[in-house]
Amino acid sequence: MNLPKIDIASLPDLDTLTGLFGSLVDVARVQSSDDTIVFLITFLYEIDPTRGIL
Amino acid sequence: MIIHPQLRALRDDDTPQRAAQDATVDQVMAWRNQSHVAKLLDAVRAFAAGGDLADHQVLARLFDAGSDDAEALARELIGVTASALAENWLGHAPFRHFTDDTISTLQLARSGSVTLSLVAIDGAGLAKRPPATTADSSPSQVWERVLAGHARAVTIDRCSTRPDRADLSASTLSLTPGSIVVRDARSHHMRLESVDGCLVLLRLQRRLPEAGPTREYALADGAMVHQAAGTPQDSRTELMMALLGRMGRPDAAPAMAVIACDKGGKVVRWQALRECLSLDTAAGFSALCEVARREEDELAPAAGALRSQLIEAYPQLKELA
Repeated sequence: MNLPKIDIASLPDLDTLTGLFGSLVDVARVQSSDDTIVFLITFLYEIDPTRGIL
Repeated sequence: MIIHPQLRALRDDDTPQRAAQDATVDQVMAWRNQSHVAKLLDAVRAFAAGGDLADHQVLARLFDAGSDDAEALARELIGVTASALAENWLGHAPFRHFTDDTISTLQLARSGSVTLSLVAIDGAGLAKRPPATTADSSPSQVWERVLAGHARAVTIDRCSTRPDRADLSASTLSLTPGSIVVRDARSHHMRLESVDGCLVLLRLQRRLPEAGPTREYALADGAMVHQAAGTPQDSRTELMMALLGRMGRPDAAPAMAVIACDKGGKVVRWQALRECLSLDTAAGFSALCEVARREEDELAPAAGALRSQLIEAYPQLKELA
């Protein structure tokens, strides 16, 4: 069967768009009590050449 | 710019830095291997596997008003880390950490969806921040204990059960050494308004992976202004799928079809369907039809609509449906 090649841009998103983990609208929100920041920084820490234990 | 000769020398040979880091890690590991610390780390792992905090006594005592285990833990941790860094000044504290000069976080333990962190908030830096305009609802449980300092916090309770709008009610809270705040962050948000000097907290947080996204609501009218993935794993998966999609890797399509039909979050599953359809039409369409056929699946209506739309655009797909 000759199947079409579907362009991803033609496929709809869900009604409510969802940002990546840690994305926020209000920059002041970082003063809320949450561990999101340290979770995010681990993306950078993993490529840090120094050795960590966690 | 003046660069210390010892730092300049590291450009040619980073052995001293690696040696300092190894020595720092060894000293901190020796402390972590002591039985009372090892028991605490075991409790964090057990708590990540499930159950109530009260089932994990070593961990629960950190957030028990009648115990000073939390203060003792912080004193030991700071003592060990500071002495390791004093001896090895090229070393880094071997914990995941973050600072922006106002909020500093040191992650003491992490297992699965649970983190135990020491957090310091500088009052002068906090006062310079713009006033908050939103409150969030995050799929997690949080236990906090003030180890030092005084602060005024605002707690905001979300009463509505509608995801797109919230009835918010605010109340203030004074934090002093020994204060303990336990909350379900889905319905109770806490924000620091002002801190005298520096506030130090011990924080235990357990994310609830199945509890949906984090939502941000405007303080002014309760309207939802943003929604973000509730767990880092969902975002990692989304980013990996997007990369494989842009690389044009049809060999990734079967794995995407599995994610689309699995029990994960609605958003990551929908992105898996889109990426899978664009990489391998047959595999993607078959996954789409499977999701559309499931009566109890929250993605079924959207999948059914997309299936109809695709069949209309490409009638040959009807044979696969």
